[in-house]
Amino acid sequence: MLRQIWIVSALNFKSLKSRFWQSMVIVVGLAATIGVMLSMLSVAAGMRQAYYASGDPNRAIVVTKGVEQEGQSTIARAQAPLIAVAPGIAKDKDGKPLADRTLMTGVPLLRKDGSKGFTSMRGLSEKGPGVRPELKIVAGRMFQSGKRELIAGVGAQALFQHMQIGDKVILPDGEWPIVGIYETRSQLDGQLLGDTETLLTTLHKPAYTTMLVRLASPDSLDTFKKAMTTNPALSVDVVRHSDWYKRVGDQTTFALALLGYVVGTVMAIGALFGCLNTMYSAVASRGREIATLRALGYGALPVAVSVVLEAMLLSVVGALIGAGIAWALYDGKLDLFGNVVFHLSVSPRQIELGVTWAVVVALLGGLFPSIRAARRPVVEALRAT
Amino acid sequence: MKYLPLVWASIMRKPTRAVLTLLSVMLAFTLFGLTIGMNATFAKFQEDAREDRMFVFARFGGLVPIALGRQIESMPGVEVVASSSFVPGYIHEPKNRVFVQMMDEKVAKVNPEYPITPAQWQLIRNNRQGMLVSKSQADRWHLKAGDTLTIASPSAKKLDGSTSWTFKVAAVTPDMSIFGQGYMFGNYDYMDKARLLSDQGKTGQFRVKVRDASKTVEISQQIESRFANSSTPLQSLTEKVAFDVSTNTGMDIAAVDRDVALAGMFMVLFLTANGLAQAVRERFAEFATLKTIGFSDNGVIALVFAEAAIPCVLGAALGIGLAAIVSNVIPRFLPPGQGLPIPTMSVMVFVWAALSAALVAFISAALPALRLKQMDIATALSGR
Repeated sequence: MLRQIWIVSALNFKSLKSRFWQSMVIVVGLAATIGVMLSMLSVAAGMRQAYYASGDPNRAIVVTKGVEQEGQSTIARAQAPLIAVAPGIAKDKDGKPLADRTLMTGVPLLRKDGSKGFTSMRGLSEKGPGVRPELKIVAGRMFQSGKRELIAGVGAQALFQHMQIGDKVILPDGEWPIVGIYETRSQLDGQLLGDTETLLTTLHKPAYTTMLVRLASPDSLDTFKKAMTTNPALSVDVVRHSDWYKRVGDQTTFALALLGYVVGTVMAIGALFGCLNTMYSAVASRGREIATLRALGYGALPVAVSVVLEAMLLSVVGALIGAGIAWALYDGKLDLFGNVVFHLSVSPRQIELGVTWAVVVALLGGLFPSIRAARRPVVEALRAT
Repeated sequence: MKYLPLVWASIMRKPTRAVLTLLSVMLAFTLFGLTIGMNATFAKFQEDAREDRMFVFARFGGLVPIALGRQIESMPGVEVVASSSFVPGYIHEPKNRVFVQMMDEKVAKVNPEYPITPAQWQLIRNNRQGMLVSKSQADRWHLKAGDTLTIASPSAKKLDGSTSWTFKVAAVTPDMSIFGQGYMFGNYDYMDKARLLSDQGKTGQFRVKVRDASKTVEISQQIESRFANSSTPLQSLTEKVAFDVSTNTGMDIAAVDRDVALAGMFMVLFLTANGLAQAVRERFAEFATLKTIGFSDNGVIALVFAEAAIPCVLGAALGIGLAAIVSNVIPRFLPPGQGLPIPTMSVMVFVWAALSAALVAFISAALPALRLKQMDIATALSGR
């Protein structure tokens, strides 16, 4: 049986050359479908990756109760010490808790092409670098606390004007120099960092945005959370940092991903009709060949399977071409969506997804023609011109 | 026209192929309609954006003292300054997101194009908790005038410590294209007086209308520089820039839309061109017969072009129709109040679709037509 399938399929593939342009309909259809879908998904996927990379299971974020976005949270100055002394927080070498009072605000900047853009500016307090060990200075130096200085992320430097060391950013009380460039390999790379207390005074903000703490161990979240939620002086939510960014990432990219899938689905159905068309013609043009095989004693099933296999080969080739184009054009490219700087991503997992779609299209597109091929009476097919 | 039955018979020779081709073309044009329709919406935003208006808000986030609005209003060339802030929240469950824009009494002057009558604006002035709800939002939450609606808003805390905001639907008003999923307008004073003391007397943004549209950019710069060193530095965006999708997303979405539409067209072009080439090949002898009985070269070629045009034009029409239906259905599945644009089937979309369909048909038919023109009748008739 398997041998029969093999022989019939091999025969099909050999005759593909004579049906080259017709077969290209499937290849081009799937290449266009998967190419477009993966290109669109590269935005959502890249953004999601940047968000996911920003979280850390060893950290917990403290936000105003009920808010879903960092920007909507406020932690009063008086509450910060209460949070920092809670159990479950890791201690620094000096014995002080690794708790960072953070500040987040939008900052308008000019993009490299001269158009207006936005990114976030964050304040880090003295324990900020300890809470975020992934933060590496790649050029210049760290800002000094108490001083009006900023450091810029590598992504921000790549996308916005005037982000070199020595450049100035205009803030309410004057110009702040950029003294260093940092990298975290996360969404933070598209932002600017400065000293929380200095920024707070300069921007006349009444409160911190969030508190970010390093947990003594990933298991101490519950201890910390309990201390936070049972303290009547606080009305906050405590979320593991990785979970927080997972939710934010999923929520922010949901509509974008949905759009990619909707476009992909519409195109895939279009490609499916093209596939059906081609396979019906293929079966019709090879009617006599198939009938001869059947007359020689080959079963109906191997003939049917060989038709589906042919559709599948063509689809997968198309999908790989499309995925290859999307990968070559977009994978790893630095981009900006809203105020999030990230790298577009066409990952092996997405290419796998593209190939899976192609296989599904081929299965559906090959099935009916294969049934027709297998059920056609041998005598009739042999007589047909 | 009299050859239509002949063309039709040629197409229906292989009904499966004809139907599959038509469906494929239809889907490509559905996609075309949605993407180019989206671009039409963006273009409409730009067209509707007025030159003489701008938004002014805090450069580094947060609220702006309302007093600054009065200072802006006294600047030369500024006609009127309105304030609006918003209550983001949800109805019953966090997934039912809504977004209430709290407008002061001057918004009606700055945005006279809103389809809201002075009497309706007056309703929310008379009752602080009054709310104007657009038709689509009213349908979505089953609201009618007189209903009470409570919105939970964790980030908009009230003076009494609660975070729930109660509104009374004063009127249901017509939708407008700039708010794709509808809108909810409340009274700014309700928000201001109910808020924490530290937030009172402040607003999210000013809507500034200037007297002379040609001065907008100049005044916008004056506002920014005047408050640059104040405790609340301001940022201004003219309506043209604010309503430009690339400002908001940082991406050239219109170009992405065009690329997607193009990919779809490329896909069907391949399909129709191949289908037609095959059909002509199969019926080569028949075309020779037509020529023999007196059809001119051009006559035969015209038949081929017609055979290519019918599925393309029909598919394009069906596809754009489907896109129009989908555009009407999409908003019902989107979280409301996020201002996501919805494709519009404007005249330009139809024009572009018709042109594309014609182009696809033309290219598909070109090669087979050339072969027919160069055919040797005797050879073709003999079936070799």
